[in-house]
Amino acid sequence: MRTLIYSIRTALSSLWHERWINLLSVLSISIGLLILGVFIAVAFNMDSALKRWSKNFGLVVYLQEGLSSEAEEDLRVFFLKDPDIEGVKYISKEEALQELRRILGKNGSVLEGFESNPLPSSFELSLKDKSLEPPVVRRKAAQIKLLEGVEDVEYGEQWLSSLNALSGIMKFGVVFLGGAIFVAIAFITYSTVKILFYRRRDEIETLKLLGATRFFIRLPFLLEGLFVGISGGAVSSLALWGIYSLVLHKGPEYLPSISGFLVQLPLTAYVPALLAGAVMSFTGSLIAVGKIRY
Amino acid sequence: MIQFLNVSKFYDSDTVLKDVSLTVAKGELAYITGPSGSGKTTLLKLIYCAERPDKGRIVVAGWDLQKLKQGTIPYLRRNVGIVFQDFRLLFNKTVFENVALALRVRDAHPHEIKEKVTGVLKEIRLMHKADVFPSHLSGGEQQRVVIARAMVAKPTVLLADEPTGNLDAETSGTITDLFRAINARGTTVLIATHNDSLFHGTGRRVIHLKDTCVEKETVG
Ligand SMILES: Nc1ncnc2c1ncn2[C@@H]1O[C@H](COP(=O)(O)OP(=O)(O)O)[C@@H](O)[C@H]1O
Ligand SMILES: [Mg+2]
Repeated sequence: MRTLIYSIRTALSSLWHERWINLLSVLSISIGLLILGVFIAVAFNMDSALKRWSKNFGLVVYLQEGLSSEAEEDLRVFFLKDPDIEGVKYISKEEALQELRRILGKNGSVLEGFESNPLPSSFELSLKDKSLEPPVVRRKAAQIKLLEGVEDVEYGEQWLSSLNALSGIMKFGVVFLGGAIFVAIAFITYSTVKILFYRRRDEIETLKLLGATRFFIRLPFLLEGLFVGISGGAVSSLALWGIYSLVLHKGPEYLPSISGFLVQLPLTAYVPALLAGAVMSFTGSLIAVGKIRY
Repeated sequence: MIQFLNVSKFYDSDTVLKDVSLTVAKGELAYITGPSGSGKTTLLKLIYCAERPDKGRIVVAGWDLQKLKQGTIPYLRRNVGIVFQDFRLLFNKTVFENVALALRVRDAHPHEIKEKVTGVLKEIRLMHKADVFPSHLSGGEQQRVVIARAMVAKPTVLLADEPTGNLDAETSGTITDLFRAINARGTTVLIATHNDSLFHGTGRRVIHLKDTCVEKETVG
């Protein structure tokens, strides 16, 4: 405990004495983390846009001609009970026809040739987010198709696959970039602490001769590295918050298409930077102080 | 307290110490002397594990140094106060902090540090220089600070390497008196010096090193 207090004082004094090199590494770390943060923000926005978008589509279940209203009601209740299905919307033959007329507009006359309404009644099912995986949707569609009274099931398989792939690529990108930047942070602190360690090697030698344990010798350096890492994380979080707020408020003025697309970043989006700064810089310092031989 | 049994030390192919056996009893104040390059410093380094023997056995304050693991060396060194020939003062710390360091590495309480450091600084008559940096001290004053740092934690053994190296006779006298006082409180003291006048007429045991061996033991 007293060693901890003494080490904190030593670390603070070193932070001040070596302020330029420490400032430099804080800046390098925060730039790295800021890049990662921007990437996370973009990925986050894309993901939420994809989610909202995919809400609009689901399965369209076409019913057999002349199905009784009891049978239709049974199907509706069945869909409502399904845990993968979020919403169920019934579209009667008549509604379908009206919709078609509306879409065709003045070309509606092509429909005049039919004696009766040729369109089937249908259900539009929207799926829960977690069930929007292509294999799940495919399986669901196959199941529903086998149900009594169902004529056919349609869904946008192509779309779903590409949206999922895109979101997968973004996530992979974040993980990959994150890994690279984490390693870079560890390396930055490693070099910084190594330099500080080297500059104070005479002092360290004396401490060893006076009976200092390895812990006593290392602790100030680890604390200093940790402080540099956390500062880097904090600076980058602050910068990200600033930049993001600016984009959120001013962005739509210049690029109207992004309004309604951007969402507020949750606080958890800032946590990785702080955590990564702390953990990776501690790791870097730990490697830097290395083995101490007496 | 300090025991060497057939200790040999080589630097590459140079033999520095060969089959050295000697004993310094608990509570004793003894001198090691010999011409420059005869291995006095090396002998002291072997005692605090800055060098390891190539042959033989060394026991210090009950610690068999052969069996000592790297991680245990600091705990051995806490039993041994060292007055280094090159002082090893930290020039970015005040006199007080330099002396306090010996207690800080032992995780001592701040009150204890304040009390003990103040005590030794008074004893070496440098209390008024407590907040001064070592670079502003004379050679003799720096030497006393080094001694203060070596004694402040009341080690069982105190080693001094050429403690009067380049000091005038009068300052040397003060330093010698300090060692006597430390020894009188029960600390075993071993002083390495090439300066005969330091032990002449003291009536203490003097170990003479010559050509890698203990040549003889005399009484000063
Ligand atoms: N680290 C070292 N590497 C190689 N030779 C050394 C080293 N330290 C001391 N020596 C040699 O060992 C001999 C004894 O040195 P030292 O113990 O310093 O003698 P003294 O202190 O009696 O003057 C000298 O010849 C010196 O050159
Ligand atoms: Mg010497």
